[in-house]
Amino acid sequence: MSYAYLFKYIIIGDTGVGKSCLLLQFTDKRFQPVHDLTIGVEFGARMITIDGKQIKLQIWDTAGQESFRSITRSYYRGAAGALLVYDITRRDTFNHLTTWLEDARQHSNSNMVIMLIGNKSDLEARREVKKEEGEAFAREHGLIFMETSAKTAANVEEAFINTAKEIYQKIQDGVFDINNEANGIKIGPQHSPANQNMPSGGGGGNQGGNCC
Amino acid sequence: MAFLQWRRFNFFDKELVKDPATDQPFDLLKEINISACTSGRGNLVIADFEGNIFFINRQLTLTTFKGYEIRVSHLHQMKQHNLLITIGEDEQGVNPIIKVWNLDKMDKGIPACTRLTRAIPANKPTPVTCFTVHENLNFMTVGFENGAVLLFKGDVTRDRHSKPRLIHDAGRPITGLGFKTSGKDVYLFVVTEASVTTINITNKDIKNTLEPFGTTLGNVIMSDATQDNQLVIGRQDAVYFYQHDGRGPCLAFEGEKLQLHWFRGYLIIVSKESKSMPRAPPMGSHSLEMNLVTVYDINNKFIAYTAPYPEVIDIMCEAGAIYILSGDRKLYQLQEKDTSTKLEILFKKNNYLLAISLAKSQQLDQDGLMAIFTQYGDHLYAKGDHDGSIQQYIRTIGKLEASYVIRKFLDAQKIHNLTKYLQALHKSQLATEEHTTLLLNCYTKLKDVSKLDEFIMTKDREVDFDVETAIKVCRQAGYHRHALSLAEKHEKHEWYLKIQLEDIRDYQAALTYIARLDFDAAETNMKQYGKILMSEAPQKTTELLKRLCTDYKPTNQPLVDQTSLEGAVPRIQRAHAEEFIHIFVNNSAQLTEFLEHMVEVQPNSSSLVYNTLLELYLHDMVHEKSITARVDRERKTLELLKNPDAGYSMEQAMVLCQVNNFKAGILYLYEKAHLYQQILQYHMEHNEFVHVMETCKKFGQQDPDLWTHALSYFAQRESQCKPQLMEVLSHIDKKNLMSPLLVVQTLAHNSTATLSVLKDYIIRRLQLEQDQMGEDVRLIRQYQDDTAKKRTQIHELQTSAKIFQASKCNICNHTLELPSVHFLCEPHSYHQHCFESYSESEMECPACAPENRKFMDIIRAQEMTRDTHESFHNQLERAPDGFAVVADYFGRGLFNAPKPSK
Repeated sequence: MSYAYLFKYIIIGDTGVGKSCLLLQFTDKRFQPVHDLTIGVEFGARMITIDGKQIKLQIWDTAGQESFRSITRSYYRGAAGALLVYDITRRDTFNHLTTWLEDARQHSNSNMVIMLIGNKSDLEARREVKKEEGEAFAREHGLIFMETSAKTAANVEEAFINTAKEIYQKIQDGVFDINNEANGIKIGPQHSPANQNMPSGGGGGNQGGNCC
Repeated sequence: MAFLQWRRFNFFDKELVKDPATDQPFDLLKEINISACTSGRGNLVIADFEGNIFFINRQLTLTTFKGYEIRVSHLHQMKQHNLLITIGEDEQGVNPIIKVWNLDKMDKGIPACTRLTRAIPANKPTPVTCFTVHENLNFMTVGFENGAVLLFKGDVTRDRHSKPRLIHDAGRPITGLGFKTSGKDVYLFVVTEASVTTINITNKDIKNTLEPFGTTLGNVIMSDATQDNQLVIGRQDAVYFYQHDGRGPCLAFEGEKLQLHWFRGYLIIVSKESKSMPRAPPMGSHSLEMNLVTVYDINNKFIAYTAPYPEVIDIMCEAGAIYILSGDRKLYQLQEKDTSTKLEILFKKNNYLLAISLAKSQQLDQDGLMAIFTQYGDHLYAKGDHDGSIQQYIRTIGKLEASYVIRKFLDAQKIHNLTKYLQALHKSQLATEEHTTLLLNCYTKLKDVSKLDEFIMTKDREVDFDVETAIKVCRQAGYHRHALSLAEKHEKHEWYLKIQLEDIRDYQAALTYIARLDFDAAETNMKQYGKILMSEAPQKTTELLKRLCTDYKPTNQPLVDQTSLEGAVPRIQRAHAEEFIHIFVNNSAQLTEFLEHMVEVQPNSSSLVYNTLLELYLHDMVHEKSITARVDRERKTLELLKNPDAGYSMEQAMVLCQVNNFKAGILYLYEKAHLYQQILQYHMEHNEFVHVMETCKKFGQQDPDLWTHALSYFAQRESQCKPQLMEVLSHIDKKNLMSPLLVVQTLAHNSTATLSVLKDYIIRRLQLEQDQMGEDVRLIRQYQDDTAKKRTQIHELQTSAKIFQASKCNICNHTLELPSVHFLCEPHSYHQHCFESYSESEMECPACAPENRKFMDIIRAQEMTRDTHESFHNQLERAPDGFAVVADYFGRGLFNAPKPSK
């Protein structure tokens, strides 16, 4: 399948907040009530369309366990977007956000688009973290915010696509250097930058995403 | 951190390999100092430090040959070709030699060595650490301890003297090599302890360092197609996968790893037992360290087997099994359990999700999967997770008996779930009538109108249910609108009308609907529902019926359709009006209108139509109060009666007219039926002298009896009616209708009729009769004279002689000569020759014969007709004077004694 761009995402957050379920819902459109612990890092991919362009999302789903932190950290580099997930029914997952955010900022490039996600919005009865709190946290740290439910699929699509839109906008604005793969953006095999109406700065290297 | 692991199962059976002959543990490897192992094409291949190469086939027979003088260090068995490639040393010192053995070609008991090449990078001898050969036999690469990587291009089997290329120098010992083909490009993975690098060997040797760390020898393996042929390296913290362009997923399996192997989607890791407990019993002089062999199912994310083995030398995967060669020189075989056993295990642990994904990855057939879904569904159901279980049951549609599921959820009153299942059932086109009913019942019970809408109203959707059932259910549940739309869509006219009329009572809509139907349907439906429609919407119904009975065409059809454009004469369909008459019960006004219309457009309508119309007219007439209207009605009725086209039945019309006392009608009908007597009678009864007279005048010609009746009628009248009597008498007289005696007798009854009335008549009659008698007497006398004359003549002929004096022949008029013939009759005389040539018989006089014959003929004719009784009766009836006929027949000898037949 040909694509114009490939965006790398990572999903981070405490264990059990529903990272893998979000991914499964987005890629397979299904929900598994019983999900095994993620051991290490897994990934999924899906094609989306933004602005008439095919964009492949390559999403890295990381283990939330503290003991795997060193492994997962090595995946931060080269991600264009991150979904920072907490569980609205568990306040501690919200409290840990600062740590996760610091970690992410430290190990990834500065332009990475981070979306804050309060998952399990279907469990309204057991809510511990108010939506306003999430919004406030996002505002404070310059993140996009959204509450989702991997079970009912509410906002799941939007979360991934809005992040992609944000990245796409940043490309259009010339914030991302699309020829540097470390930014987590790759140009599709058929789309050499010379043919594209690219923002300035992309004109330099023609080899770009073609090799390796 | 034991729980930070995948779920663990035991999907392999461990077995110590035994010699089939002796049933003793296989121990032929006991004394061998093993240096390398490989496997392929049915054999386990083992090399030792003495330069020997051993093959163990499936029957566990061991064959061997000496490959090198000193030792063998590396082995590689090609999978697709029966080639064994080895590296070893023939001479002392560091001098590795690559040998390629063709195992199919035996040369003096040992395989043929087709190639022999030294592997020394850039003239710096250094030990080989690893090597690999591309399956296409075009690339072979060798890694050295000093970090050099040599690439041999071209046919691997032959020594082409092409110089190997030094394509990489990592500066550290090479710990792993692997080829990966991606599209047209072939990449070489080079792993050292501190890096993972790819080299595109088909495109300018472009290098790409993927990772700043690597792993030790033995912990590098290429996965198979199930994992996209990725490079897998095992490190202390995790197992990492690599694509040619970067790092892929990683699995955090902790522990110090010794070996990595790949077996049909399983990753086998040999690691040091983390818990360094002294499990291994002391064996002889030295105790063996225990290693942990773990088999991971990467796709389904679970541990398929794990067990400790004493110091694993190597693991070989061959013939569908895993062979573990342990440090005590024992060979263990791990045989994978069959799928059903595995599933059994999973079921026991209620791990259905895994069972499903496992079954899918093992390509289990549909039946098997269905069985799992069913079990899973049952399990969830038992747990009370009805939502979940129905999901599973839905997946069993097509295999599992639907009633099984339905009953379960029906009993539990889980209508929501049941609905979901039934919907799925319909979607997969497997629903029966009962299912449809049930589903609709569910919808109605849930009051889920929107779903019902969707189910029923969705346009241009394939119908996956039984329409009639659906209609029935909707109707019963009071969802008339749905039932209606269904009926309309599927042209179930009966249902549509039934609902429209009986439930919704929208008669106008029903009528409009009928008007859209084609002829046959419209007709039958009108017959069925006409009565209701008539009572509720008389005007429109009448209109429709009119159209139906004249020139029907569905309203939604174009006025001029294709066939008529093509010149075909459209078949005019019309219903029979009389079949609809009963519909108009209690609605005579509409019926009148209808019938009038029918009569107008179809003059040849059946008698029933006319009869009914007549009846209606008469009924109206009788009940009409105002005189003018009544006159008008009478006129109309009479017009109908007089209409030559009107096909009413006489009898019925007459009865109707009489019942309703419609004089004009009655009279007209009598006249039409030629019942003049009746007309007369009628008038007489009503004492209308003028009409009696008129009738007599009018019809006297056809029926003279009228006059006689009139006479007796007038005669009986007590009142003064002399003028009439006179007139009647004159008519009777003129036409001689009655014998005077009768006239007198008739009049005698009347006390008022005086002689003066009769006088003229009687005198005239007597005069006439007298004349008649005189004439008759004269005639009788004349006949008597004639008869007497004839008698004398006969007498004369019989008694006296006759003198023949004729001188001339009566034929030729010449003088009579002899011989001659004489006849008594005139007398006539003839020449004999004349007589012979003229006469027809010798007995007859030719001159008199024609006259005689005339008489004879008359007599004969009279005799003949005498016997034909029919004509006699006919004549008798037709003749004005019957007696004359009888007299005539007397004359013909009716009563003569029959002549004896000859």
